[in-house]
This record gives sequence, C-alpha cells and structure tokens, in this order.
Amino acid sequence: MAFNILVTDDSETMRAVIKKTVSMSGVPVGEFHEAGNGIEALAVLENTWIDVILSDINMPEMGGMELLKKISEDEDLRKIPLIFITTEASDARQEEAKKLGVAGYVKKPFQPEAIKAILYEVLEKAYEHRMAEKPDEEAGEDSDF
Amino acid sequence: MDDDLRRVIFETFSEVFETMFFTFLEPLEEAPGKEELGSGKFIEATIGYSGGCNGNFLFYFPWELGKNITVNFLGIDEGEVQDRQIADTAAETANMAIGGLLGKLDPGGTASLAIPQASVLDDFSPDALLGAPGLCMFNTEFGILWVSGTHA
Repeated sequence: MAFNILVTDDSETMRAVIKKTVSMSGVPVGEFHEAGNGIEALAVLENTWIDVILSDINMPEMGGMELLKKISEDEDLRKIPLIFITTEASDARQEEAKKLGVAGYVKKPFQPEAIKAILYEVLEKAYEHRMAEKPDEEAGEDSDF
Repeated sequence: MDDDLRRVIFETFSEVFETMFFTFLEPLEEAPGKEELGSGKFIEATIGYSGGCNGNFLFYFPWELGKNITVNFLGIDEGEVQDRQIADTAAETANMAIGGLLGKLDPGGTASLAIPQASVLDDFSPDALLGAPGLCMFNTEFGILWVSGTHA
C-alpha cells in the first residue's frame, strides 16, 4: 500500500526538502499533496484521501496548532496521524500538541533519519485507518505496517 | 549583548547551518575595515518574537552564501536555483535559527515567533550595520553572514 502524504509548511523550499526526505526514506508514497497553511491543509483534507500529515506550526493565516485543533475536533479527520516538523519545540508547545493528539514531533533543523523514524512509527495507525475506511483497497506487498 | 547569549546564538545557528546546509560558521570577533566591506547583492531576512520575552533579528546573507545554502538545502544544481527559492531559504533559515534560539531562551514557550520575511537588496553595503545593536558576524566560505538582533 502506498500512502498519501500532506506536507504543510509556508516555506516552498522546506516543503520540497521534506518531500525529498520522505521519498528517500523508503516509505511507499502514493501522492504528495502540499499546503502553505492550515486553511489550505483543511481544503486538501476535505477533497482528498490523506494518510499522514506533516505540518509546520509557525504559518500565516492558520498555524499548525490551530490546524491540529480543527482536526482533533473532527470525527473523521482525527484518525489521520499528524506529525509536527517545526522549530517550535518548547516543552510547553509539545505538551499542548500532545493534549490535542499529535502523533509525533520533529524539531527543525532535522536529520533525515528523524523523519523516517517517526513516519514508520505512525504508518501502522495510518494503515489501520485506511483499511477501516477503505477495506476494498488492495493491501499490496507493502502492507506489513 | 552578553557573551553567554552570543555563545548560544553561535551554537544554535551552527546547528542549523551544519545540519541543513552542510555549511560551517566561524564567529568573527571584529568586523573587517570599512574599505574591505564593499557592497553587493544581499538578502535580508527578518523575524521577531513577542510575549513573555521580546526580540527581533535581522539577517544579511551575501548573495553567494544564500545561493550556496539553497543549492545544498534542495540538493539541486547551481544553475537550477531561482531567486525566490534563495529568498525563501533565507526566511526559513531565520525561522529555524531564531526558533531554535527562542526554544533555549524561553523553554516555557511564553513567547510566539512571528512569520519570517525576506527581501533581496540589490546593492547593500554591510558597513551600514557597523555599530548596530547586538551585531554578530559569522565567516563562511561564501562571505560574512551578518546578524543584528535584540532580546529582552
């Protein structure tokens, strides 16, 4: 099974770097989708099947924490694991994110291994969500998450 | 700006430049003489924070430094890099550097980081920065990175 990944960051170059990092991690990717802030991310989520969200926190219009709050309030969207990739790594911010159900936290600057490790941690949850909602999908050779 | 803050700034910025751009910073204690500075194309990136503590930082990247870190960041050839990517990388660098610094200066997370901005300065002379508050200089293979900032 290949996973659809939404990369949300207001920096176009950072989105490109994260996509490249994920592609090189060995995670089977179906499609990448991109958003420049939380509002754009919600619009993508409304129309597209997404398995994992990778999001910055510090973004204009709607930041990552508000995006996570909106997702946590939605019965369907809350099943999608969201990982923060952010400079904002204070204990208080991480605690706030944890309470809202964040699936993982990667601090910028990051090593590619950090993103790979956290992605593999959440893929099982993403796989179970996909199978629960789309049981007719072929599991394929990468189904052992 | 006291020596402890300068040390934390150097450590934090070095982590960003080495991890993301494979670029090494060397702190400069003294600015080169005015006659050595000249002028040229720079990128200015700014970012601030406010709340439990307040600060504002300006970064001045020589164009070649901006281009080099962007090439390393994106893993592309020098001929492929576009000006908007260089400006975006400078803004993201300011975000990572000051976000990391704020995490150390404000571990309780009482202050919020603003959105970084970057613009291209076609003909800038860094001698305008001499005497600026909290001026830090870092030597790189592609020229001096100038950073001026305040934290309170």
